[in-house]
Amino acid sequence: MKKLLIPILTLVTLTSYGQNPAPAKPQTKAIALTGGTVHVGTGQVIPNGIVLFSNGVITNVVDGTTVRLNLNDVEVIDVSGKHVYPGLISPVSTVGLQETGAVRATVDMREIGILNPNIRSLIAYNTDSEIIPTIRNNGVLFSQAVPQGGTISGSSSVMMSDGWNWEDAALKKDDGIWLNWPTYLARDFNFEDFTTVVRKNERRAAAIDALRATFADAKAYAALSNPTPLNLKLESMRGLFTGKQNLYIRADYGKDIMEAVTFAKSVGVPKVVIVGGEEAHRVVTFLKENNVPVILSELHRLPSREDEDVDLPYRMPGILQKAGVLVGLSYADGWWRTRNLPFLAGTAAGFGVTDREEALKMVTSNTAKILGIDNLVGTLEKGKHATLFVSAGDALDMRTNVVEQVFIQGRKVNLDDRHKRLYKTYKDKYENK
Amino acid sequence: MFKPLLTGLLAAGLAYSSIAQTTFPVNGVYDERPGLYAFTNATIIVDPQTTLQNATLLVRNGRVEAVGTAVNVPASAVVTDLKGKRIYPALIDIDSDYGMPEITRTGGGGGGRGAGGAPQYESNKKGAYYWNQAIQPENEASILFKANPTKADELRKLGFGVVLTHAHDGIARGTGSLVTLADDRENSIVLKPTVTAHYSFSKGTSGQQYPNSMMGVVALLRQAMYDADWYKRAGSKEQANMSLDALNRTRSLPAIFEANDKLGIVRADKIGDEFGIQYIIRSSGDEYQRLDEVKATGASLIVPLNFPQPYDVEDSWDADNVSLAELKHWEMAPMNAGRVAAANIPFALTTAGLRNKADFWANLRKAIENGLSEQKALEALTTIPAKLIHVEDMVGTLQKGQVANFLITSGNLFSADNVIFENWMQGKQYIVANKNAADLRGSWNLTVGSQSNLKLNITGKTPDKPEYQILVDTVKVTPKVAVAGDIISIQVQLDKRRPGTTRLTGYRTGTTIKGDGESPDGKTITWSAVRAGDVPSSTSATSSTAPIASATATTPASNTAATLLYPFVGMGNLKKPQAETVLIRNATVWTNEKDGILANTDVLVEGGKISKIGKSLTAPAGVKVVDGTGKHLTNGIIDEHSHIALLSINEGGQSSSAEVRMSDVINPDDINIYRQLAGGVTTSQLLHGSANAIGGQSAIVKLKWGEPADGMLIKGADGFIKFALGENVKQANYPNPNVLTRFPQSRMGVEQVYMDHFTRAKEYAKGWTDYNKLGAKEKATAIAPRRDIELDALAEILAKKRFITCHSYVQSEINMLLKVADSLGFKVNTFTHILEGYKLADKMAKHGVGGSSFADWWAYKMEVHDAIPYNAALMHHQGVTVSINSDDAEMARRLNQEAAKTVEYGGVPEEDAWKMVTLNPAKLLHLDSKLGSIRAGKDADLVLWNAHPLSIYARPEITMIEGATYFSLKDEDAKRDAVQAERARIIQKMLTAKAGGASTVRPNFRRARMWHCEDVEGMFAEEEGK
Repeated sequence: MKKLLIPILTLVTLTSYGQNPAPAKPQTKAIALTGGTVHVGTGQVIPNGIVLFSNGVITNVVDGTTVRLNLNDVEVIDVSGKHVYPGLISPVSTVGLQETGAVRATVDMREIGILNPNIRSLIAYNTDSEIIPTIRNNGVLFSQAVPQGGTISGSSSVMMSDGWNWEDAALKKDDGIWLNWPTYLARDFNFEDFTTVVRKNERRAAAIDALRATFADAKAYAALSNPTPLNLKLESMRGLFTGKQNLYIRADYGKDIMEAVTFAKSVGVPKVVIVGGEEAHRVVTFLKENNVPVILSELHRLPSREDEDVDLPYRMPGILQKAGVLVGLSYADGWWRTRNLPFLAGTAAGFGVTDREEALKMVTSNTAKILGIDNLVGTLEKGKHATLFVSAGDALDMRTNVVEQVFIQGRKVNLDDRHKRLYKTYKDKYENK
Repeated sequence: MFKPLLTGLLAAGLAYSSIAQTTFPVNGVYDERPGLYAFTNATIIVDPQTTLQNATLLVRNGRVEAVGTAVNVPASAVVTDLKGKRIYPALIDIDSDYGMPEITRTGGGGGGRGAGGAPQYESNKKGAYYWNQAIQPENEASILFKANPTKADELRKLGFGVVLTHAHDGIARGTGSLVTLADDRENSIVLKPTVTAHYSFSKGTSGQQYPNSMMGVVALLRQAMYDADWYKRAGSKEQANMSLDALNRTRSLPAIFEANDKLGIVRADKIGDEFGIQYIIRSSGDEYQRLDEVKATGASLIVPLNFPQPYDVEDSWDADNVSLAELKHWEMAPMNAGRVAAANIPFALTTAGLRNKADFWANLRKAIENGLSEQKALEALTTIPAKLIHVEDMVGTLQKGQVANFLITSGNLFSADNVIFENWMQGKQYIVANKNAADLRGSWNLTVGSQSNLKLNITGKTPDKPEYQILVDTVKVTPKVAVAGDIISIQVQLDKRRPGTTRLTGYRTGTTIKGDGESPDGKTITWSAVRAGDVPSSTSATSSTAPIASATATTPASNTAATLLYPFVGMGNLKKPQAETVLIRNATVWTNEKDGILANTDVLVEGGKISKIGKSLTAPAGVKVVDGTGKHLTNGIIDEHSHIALLSINEGGQSSSAEVRMSDVINPDDINIYRQLAGGVTTSQLLHGSANAIGGQSAIVKLKWGEPADGMLIKGADGFIKFALGENVKQANYPNPNVLTRFPQSRMGVEQVYMDHFTRAKEYAKGWTDYNKLGAKEKATAIAPRRDIELDALAEILAKKRFITCHSYVQSEINMLLKVADSLGFKVNTFTHILEGYKLADKMAKHGVGGSSFADWWAYKMEVHDAIPYNAALMHHQGVTVSINSDDAEMARRLNQEAAKTVEYGGVPEEDAWKMVTLNPAKLLHLDSKLGSIRAGKDADLVLWNAHPLSIYARPEITMIEGATYFSLKDEDAKRDAVQAERARIIQKMLTAKAGGASTVRPNFRRARMWHCEDVEGMFAEEEGK
């Protein structure tokens, strides 16, 4: 009776009625991936590499042609001809915060109010989102859950793409606070001729004054060890002044970028990240001098202006990289599109970034540095999390990005997802006809 | 305040009518005067061709009785000696709303929302009128007209005598009346009550939903014209319709169409051609940008003088927000009238479109400085407008018998220092400036009491607007001066250190002024001023207007650099690309034929076609050779689902809009055309949106950057039409569901929309078939059915002459449409989006319908919950012709990558994947005999890629359409430099204009909306997504 039951259960999990695969079991035995091309994420490539990890942590990465490792009591997985990458990191994301865009009940990413530093995306992060397995299966293994809306939107957290609940999945809680910089130019939609008019924002001076006051209050508050009454908003901003938290400022226009950075420094925030940066190319010297990193909005966008070079958005990472600015890439607007993040790096490589490994850094180690998680993830180096994937070919190109194995902290992840289940169901339907 | 009031009272008191108004009783004593005036010794411009010196104009009862150099002046005439002065025919403006009721617009744009935010589907105009309130040909200007002395005075001062006025409201706007600008009873002001019929592309005050797009406007007007025809033949027996009646009554009048822009001119003319009407078209001032096409319409134009203000470009970053096209338009708009004239297009000028009517003369002079001759300008303001509206027997010249509307001027009407003294209207005098006032301009030696170190300098562009300055030694003070006839009074503070005003009053005799006055301490003093000569030029430039004049004076010289671009966009070309003979050598050629992918192969392009494919082809002498070594040559990408290059997308005012045509709203200036060429796209199906179950007729274009809309359309392509299913059609994601009243609101209703419309279309088609079967004799007595352009389109589908591309997501509704089609005997050509196509790919294959899908879109709304990236592969493996499309201006730039995803998801072979963006869409569009593969004889729409075309690292180096190179990567740097240089040149000029005092506008930057198929004008805010 027992024997009969087990296959039936197995069958059920394979049908399209199944849910997301259960989170993976902890790594119990050391694993070595051998023979593959190892993309370390630092720019280095090891053509015949060995990646050895146990208890969820990378214990060694070596060149298999020259170094012999003792692989006794190690599960050896031959990945010859394949490519091994560190898990890609998707910053500025709403994955886990929204499921079906048009269905309000499934969207938890925007709170009302203008100054919401105390709002935390972490607790709304839905580990059961059906989006997550689909992005994981293209190699995107981390996403930064970011709240939207208001002027100060709240704080983000960096999440792993595997876990029973948000506590499990959190890699770094409350990594930074998000500020939408009051724009120099504001967009107006004209109903007469259906064009968007961009004009100087007349209300911004007042908005910036209000921000300056808030940050001044928060800084003074941070000096108190036992504040009464307790102010949740100011309390949540403490980390900004010690460098424990990033201040992420969304700004695109060149003047906005400069002003935003200057503002942050003047109010005593040491760690600033510019997010968006559609005109970052105009302020490269400023960004370099101030040592400010940039997370670019998706490269697959149209130029901002009619006369702008048609490929300027694609060339942006290369322009910044060559100027020495630390760059990360994001898929900010499309949660479900996040699975295309590796292809943004591919585009960057095709349009001016020095080489593919430099482009890879923009979705791995650079982003880890910017987010303050580079001690844990972002490269395939000893001591880092064994959060990585194996692709049949170049993962930055859709032609060859076929993810065959995923490990998150050494856990072997089931690569099933909603799309594969539906695919299989209907493939079977036609094949069994 | 007091002065104008007094003038008004006097005018009213003295008013009499030169044209007897016998039907009006008089409260008092009749005051009918002879009305006989002679103007002698004048230079008379009888018409633009005839100028008489030392001539006499004789006016009787408001008409020209005689003009010439040997006119006998009757003894009873009031004689005015105009020695040294000129007489011109008064000017005519034939696009005026003078005396028309104020138009108050409800709501924004084409929103079509009534009170309370609920959509208004039916006309709010009560009465026996057309079903749509934007069609109001029954409006008659002569009935609406009410004289407006303030506005009349404003136009009189500019020199206008008569205007053609109409109510600028609606698509069919009714009739126009010819009226003078006299202050008199309407009965005499209205010279001709019904002169013209007026049309436009704007629905005006109508709050009715339909039409809410430009193509809907065109369709509505066309249908109304067909309805009018039916009404004449038979309809009036069936219903009373005052609108249709009016359309018929006004058919013989000159018809004037107000177009919004250069594209609108061509669009309006096309409507006219359909009904045998040559519209006179009111242009917008940008027609110089596409003059050839405007000229080809054969239309006469009414041209405005609305020049853009310079932009504030002092901050170089902000200045980037102004596009080169806007900069160039600032520079070139003043050349418009001159270029229209040089192209021999008959045109009238109008004050319409001016922000401020007072700018008329400054702008007209600017147009003259920029190439418009004075003679053409005068014609455009007198004889041409009169001819265009068939009133040349009444107005426009000073020939005998004409209405006596004329101007008395100080000199050449078009010179900057001319003064219009009087504007006579219907033989009645309106004084604009005192023609007898002396010209006091000059430098006067001033003596006040014992103080003789004074100079009074009187300057000014014209004698009627003097500016005064007193020099106390070298110190400049500005006095207050009043001149009344020969009496002159001056108030001035002569000593800045000692406050107090000296007040002087005196009397002028010739070049001497003498009088007395009071010093600040109350002492009586005598004073005098004696004219010493002209004001030295260095001190005359005090007027604030002077620098502007000098800035504009430099315009013509530097305008030699002003060049057109095709299209008129920064990335446009100086010359339209031409087909060349090209040999591409040694490339990897993706043939999409049974030969597959050929390595090291040459392709020869001749006469816009692929002529040879082979190894080591010999190049004919002088042929352009492109080295394809290490590169891939493919067909141009064909985007089955695109919304670029369109002015609007959805006509969502009704659940069927089969009558609308996207070809009416092609925008050949859309920068996305160029951006997509840079991504290898050469052909796009421009689709209607998905706001309703039956959308509009597609336009299939090649992305020939620089060609006009007609040049982009693929000639002889089959007609297609957009259908839509699902959430958009039932308005599921609209912001305020409580106000939705448009049928259908559920998928159940959608089926019935199709059943209903196709049933009607069948009956309609039968009606025509029966009628067409009749013999000539029977036809003479039978009544032809009413032409219905919506049912025409549906009948074409039933007759397999038009083909459906249907927006679709979930399988239930897809299955439904297949069943509806089967039951009514037509086929669905393509399901687009078709994200659940994989669930019924077998049924699709059986029906023979293609699928045009996204590679990996999902999760943005409920009906894409089951969308999977394996969709294309599953459909493909079931034998469905699959294409991958964009529906997105950005994604269309990298459709090669989207095709590549079908390799990743579902393992489609690379060659087949590539066909999904080339040969397969060509098949779905029935264009595969010409497009979609590299075969001798097919169109040379080719892309040379730097790498494997399915790779993320690939980019086009050359994109060619019919042998003409429209994108070349190696020329991009040069193009960028040219844009920068041209921007810099104009910005320098603009800075000069600003330094010279011209008012500027802030550099707002405008970008056209990026359309997706669900965008309904006025329905969604911009951020509303897919």
